[in-house]
Amino acid sequence: MMYVPSYFEFVNSAKLLSGDYALENIASEMNLLGSVRPIILSDATLEKIGSVKLLTDALAKGGMRPSSVYTDIPLDSSIEKVNEIAVIYRERNADGIIALGGGSVIDTAKGLRMLISQGGRDIMRYVGSEMLNKGQNVPFAAIPTTSGTGSEATGVAVIKDGERKVKLEFISSFLLPDIAVLDVRVLESMPPRITALTGLDALTHAIEAYSCLQKNPISQCYAISAIKLIMANLEQALRKPKDKKARISMAIASYIAGAAFSNSMVGIVHAIGHSVGGVCSVAHGEAMTILLPVCMRYNRDYAKEDYSELLLYLSSPDVYASTDAAARADKAIAVVEDFIAKIKESAPIATRLSERGVMKSDFEEIAIRAMNDGALIVNPRNADKDDILKILDEAF
Amino acid sequence: MKAFLKTTVCSVVLHVLYRALKVLVRKDSRIRHEFSSFKDGFTIRITLSTEGPSVVMRKEAGRLSWIKEAEGEDLELKFKSIDSAFLVFTGMMGISRAYAEHRITVKGDIADVMTLVRMIDIAEAYLFPRIMSKRVLRAVPSKERSSLSVYRMVLLGF
Ligand SMILES: [Fe+2]
Repeated sequence: MMYVPSYFEFVNSAKLLSGDYALENIASEMNLLGSVRPIILSDATLEKIGSVKLLTDALAKGGMRPSSVYTDIPLDSSIEKVNEIAVIYRERNADGIIALGGGSVIDTAKGLRMLISQGGRDIMRYVGSEMLNKGQNVPFAAIPTTSGTGSEATGVAVIKDGERKVKLEFISSFLLPDIAVLDVRVLESMPPRITALTGLDALTHAIEAYSCLQKNPISQCYAISAIKLIMANLEQALRKPKDKKARISMAIASYIAGAAFSNSMVGIVHAIGHSVGGVCSVAHGEAMTILLPVCMRYNRDYAKEDYSELLLYLSSPDVYASTDAAARADKAIAVVEDFIAKIKESAPIATRLSERGVMKSDFEEIAIRAMNDGALIVNPRNADKDDILKILDEAF
Repeated sequence: MKAFLKTTVCSVVLHVLYRALKVLVRKDSRIRHEFSSFKDGFTIRITLSTEGPSVVMRKEAGRLSWIKEAEGEDLELKFKSIDSAFLVFTGMMGISRAYAEHRITVKGDIADVMTLVRMIDIAEAYLFPRIMSKRVLRAVPSKERSSLSVYRMVLLGF
């Protein structure tokens, strides 16, 4: 039965441009929003493989010339980087932002957007949740080049404070891009490992959004669509990287899973996963892949109904119908585990913490950090430090 | 209930909560441990609604103090409406749930919010009857001493 919370909020204000010639439509959409000379943010790899040129050519066709193209964004962007780009933005008199890249580039762009619209030189002042007003209008388009973080659909930016070496979270619906653009031409060069890990990250977003405390009829509906798309397309995207339909389907899945979790938030998989990443530099998607089944087992008795329902979308109507109602939640977890195992056959990904050099001596620090992660607040089952240590042990 | 009444109730409960935290920072090992992660001088503001009153607490020489007026707090939790604050301060909703439901805006680091929320959850286990905590919290923290002794220290100071 559909769960209706006593109160919830939902926002997904980005306009989505998805499919053939999506890049070519950006100029016109940005014009409508009042931008004629945006700054382009991307990274060195995307510049090297020609994705940035693809974008600037597409913009040129629409008569748009960017005020500058900035591609010096590292994988792990920082507050300092955002502040630095803001200087360039103002110097060049840019009037909008187009971000082309993975999570780090898009989060950097969100930080820049916030700093420009709020004014000032340092985004540190704006750390927090929902405390910003809209500020000055800064048209912002995001073009993801991986299919997993869903950052193009979320009102969250996670940016490192390089000095204190901690990740800071910015939450505001005004961080949402005005336009999200999904175009296979910038997605098909994704290597198998990234395709696999980002795809499984998106699956985690959908499963956590579906079962966490802030679930609601809209986010659950988004989560279901994302799960269906991922189960039907991730393997194909790995087998045939140039398969357009599989690629765009994964991009859509990532986008809607992002919209789902931006509203109902993610839970314990992310709380622990962020910390595993922070302490041991395990890639985000990999931490998700390793932790998802273990955490689902931890949550099972508290999310039983949700997991049972998800079995239908994770498998097939036949499997769902032939599984005893009481066994569906367990079956759903088993299906997720099998799916990850199958993905592992076509891409070099880890499924245990020990495979990625995490040591048992890291557990204490990981658990302490996970306890301070906001994602823990909406997990269906409460977790204290000992619970987290047990989960880490099981995932080792 | 009228808004000013809700505001009054919330202000009173918030004051009791502050007194309880002040006591428990010394008397409860877990709250002491959580509190130790705040640096000295760390200032917390809790604002009851957009236009509502706010209280400011600060860690001073390892203790929790009530501050009359302060600017530049390290952490501010602001309820979007007095009605949401009322749900929390009358024990009808856990503070973590209120945060999850977007009833609270935060200025500052979410990690600090998590610490404060855990402190408040434990404090509420002393202040509210167990049946209430059980309804609003996913797991009710245990108590290291009796609620009566905490209330005595909160109200009478010994
Ligand atoms: Fe994620």
